[in-house]
Formats: sequence, structure tokens, C-alpha cells
Amino acid sequence: MATPFNAIKVPKPEAGAYNPNRPAGLLLQAQALHFRAALLKHQEELTSLLAIDPKSLKTEGDVSAYVHRTTAILHTHAARPKRK
Amino acid sequence: MLVGLDNLKHIVVLMMENRSFDHMLGGLSLVVENGVKKYPKINGLTGNESNPDTAGNAVKVQPNSKFQSQLDPDPDHHFPGVDLQIFGGTPPGPGRVANMQGFVKDYFTQTNDVNRSHNIMYYFTPDKLPVLTTLATQFAVFNGWFSSIPGPTICNRAFAHYGTSFGQVGMDIFYTLDPILSAYERMVQGGHMAKIYYYDQQSSTMEIVNILKNQPQIFATYSQFIADCQNNLLPEYSFIEPCYNDHPGADGGEILASDQHPDHNVQEGERFIASVYNAIRTNPTLWGSTALLIVYDEHGGIYDHVAPPACTPDGYSAKPADTGTGEAFNFDRLGVRVPAVLVSPYIPKGTVVPGTEDPANGRIFEHASIPATVTNFFLNGDAKRTDREKKASTFVDLLSGPMRPDSDIPYFTLGGN
Repeated sequence: MATPFNAIKVPKPEAGAYNPNRPAGLLLQAQALHFRAALLKHQEELTSLLAIDPKSLKTEGDVSAYVHRTTAILHTHAARPKRK
Repeated sequence: MLVGLDNLKHIVVLMMENRSFDHMLGGLSLVVENGVKKYPKINGLTGNESNPDTAGNAVKVQPNSKFQSQLDPDPDHHFPGVDLQIFGGTPPGPGRVANMQGFVKDYFTQTNDVNRSHNIMYYFTPDKLPVLTTLATQFAVFNGWFSSIPGPTICNRAFAHYGTSFGQVGMDIFYTLDPILSAYERMVQGGHMAKIYYYDQQSSTMEIVNILKNQPQIFATYSQFIADCQNNLLPEYSFIEPCYNDHPGADGGEILASDQHPDHNVQEGERFIASVYNAIRTNPTLWGSTALLIVYDEHGGIYDHVAPPACTPDGYSAKPADTGTGEAFNFDRLGVRVPAVLVSPYIPKGTVVPGTEDPANGRIFEHASIPATVTNFFLNGDAKRTDREKKASTFVDLLSGPMRPDSDIPYFTLGGN
């Protein structure tokens, strides 16, 4: 652990720096577009999985492949934010 | 083997946003102590660098940077704008020379205000950036780390993940069928651990391709990074993304963007860098086994005086319609120089890695140096990679000294104002 001799204080930004109403720049707009594209890919996978009738899964291998793909989708939803 | 390399178990990369080398660290060259330059090897500013404005006046660099509100509107950093910044308005063609004379002119196209266009020449005095300048002067600073493309964020960050942008020079999302995997996928396939730590779900990641292919295996939040550091669970390779927007915290508090992208608060970014450093620094096991690279994705349209050099092409070509300059781009030259600092207790104090200013000994780094270093160090280079990445400089050899004592190592306290 460092001694006080080599401790360097890092100040906080001044009050008023926080501005969630700042217009979103091109980077953040691009990020939102990319997330939408990601959702569409996600939807394709979800649609593909919902087309599978679980009763058609005959072997442990069939079930494990289905559960693997399904878990990959559902797990990411586990921590989704509550709707306001 | 060097003792630092022998003990190295973790590489951590923190990639910030959109600031040039001269803007953040160029002022170190002007620090004088007892009548002599304190950091003579750093290739920063002389104070005489200038750019012409649209009224024909020479605008010198000035130590006037503030933490916020000076770079609004966001300076242009897309391909055609950066082309103007680097070549001063000389149209594409054989033999043109990079003169770094178009920054003020380009910023005028956004501000439409001659005086405000001068802001692009502002730089920080070192006392305003105690975290970055302390780390730069106490560990290793790179005189020659350049963004990979003279363009914006997404394609530059792609080089940090894949060693290529697969032909992209802009902000478009891209999907690749190419067999080149990201550094994280290579690590996982090789039986190692690798993670991208994004700040939180409101900020998330800029690395969408990997979200689609791999979440949640290689993703975690910044609070998990802190916990992993405390519990000695840090992966071999970690990539940290700062907070990209201002938003409410879970407890109703205020979370500020810490990425330093204009016009976000630079001081908050300093605190974030300090937080990452402290998380490693305060765990003795981790401190002795980790190399932390702090680097910026691109210059954000802000002035730097060093002309970007040529580089090994990555095998792709961007069409004239995509570059916006009327000329194809073959990924054979780099973008504008960015701040890059490597931290480890095995780095001799005050290391300055020479760049283009030293043709004999200079070493050129860019973001493909990141997957190159990770892949070479952890996987013995065993991965399909672009020629660009294969030939990229790697940086762990800088851990060349004995372990420095605690009394020689800085520590940051995140206090109030």
C-alpha cells in the first residue's frame, strides 16, 4: 500500500457537470442503431427456436442443443431492467 | 526471461475516447524545472505549433483546455474530416504530404465561428490531469502510439479487438464471416479467460459483434471488474470500457460519462482511470502480476503535431464511396496519434518509448498492437491474424526492470473538490 507521501488527490468534477439532457452525439446514436441491429439478429434466433416443437426432440443430444440455444437467449434477460 | 515478464499473468486495457496526444500529454514537454526541460524525451509541444484559420491567421497551440464545454459541437473525426486535418486540404493524390495543418479549418466547418474554431488547438497543462500525467511520467509513455485508422470510434476499436476493421472506415455495424476471431474468442478457445468489462447496462459496450456472438461469456460490468480484482479472479486478459453517457445511478445518484469523449467531463475520466489503477494497485498479488495499458481510441478531431506514418496493410480496401474523399483507402497508413501509457511495477520510472521523432530507435504502435500482444504473450501467436497484426509492435518487453518498491509507486485518492 502506498504511503501518504505518494498519494495524489483526484478532485471531483464541479457541480453541474451531470447533464443527462445533453444531446446524444454520433457515437451514442450509432451505438443505439447497433443495438437495434443486434435485437433483430436476436429476434431471428428467437423465431427460429420457437419454430421447434419441443415434443420433436427425441434424444438427449437434441434436448441439450435446444436447451443450450434457449439458455443463451434467456440468460441475457435475467438482469433486464424493470419497466417504468 | 525478464522478471517482469516471468511474473506477468494479466493484461488489462482501458480504452478511453477521442483525445489526441498533444491535447492531453503535449504540455509535459513544456514543463521546466531549474531551467531545464523536465521531460525532454517526450515528443509533445514546443508551444510554437500552429494551424491556419479560415481568416488566414496562424493559430498557435494554447494551454487553455477546460474539462468541459469547449469542444461543443463535437469535433469532426470521420474519414473526410480527418483527411482535411492531416493533409491541410490538399486533395488525395500521389505525393501529397501530411502536414497536420487542417484542424482549425475543419473545426470551423462545424462551429462556423472563427474564434471558436481555435479551441481545437487547446491543450491541458499537466496539473489539470494529475492521473494521466502522473502515470505517463512514472511508468511508460508512448511517443508513437497512433489510432489505427484516420477515422472514428467503431472502426478504430475494431482494431483493438480483431487487429482489423474488416474494411470499415466508419461507424457502420459490421458482421464478418472472416475466420479472424477477436482476441477474447482466441483466448477462450485457447483455454484462457478474457473479458470485456463495460461500465453498466445503461452505458454498455461499443463491441456489438461480440455481444451477438458471445454474451454473456466474455462480458461483465465494471463493478464485477472491481470485485474480480479484490478476489484475485481477474482474467488473463481484460478490456475495460468507460461510461459513455450521463445517466441516473441505481440509487438515484448521478453517474457521469467517464469516457472523455467531447463534450464529456475530462475530470470524471481522470477519476475513472484512477479507479482502474487503484483496483490493481491495492491488491499486492495483482499489482505484481499485471500490466495496465491506458490508451485512447482516436484523436477526436483534436490537434496533434505528429504526422501519422505508413503501416502494413491489413488486406482490406475501403471504396471511395465509403471513405468520402473520392479515393479508396487501403489501410496502409495510420490515424492521428493518441495518448498511451503502460503501467507495471516492472517498468523503469520515466520510460519514454520513442516514436517517429527517432528514426533509428523509434517504435510505432497502434491498436492492432493490443491483440498482437495478447495473442503473442498468452497464445504464442497461435491464431489466424492479418499481416497488419502479425507485424504490429508488442509492448510487454517494456516490463524490463526489477520490481519497484511501494515507496516509489503513486496512489490516487478520489476525494472531493
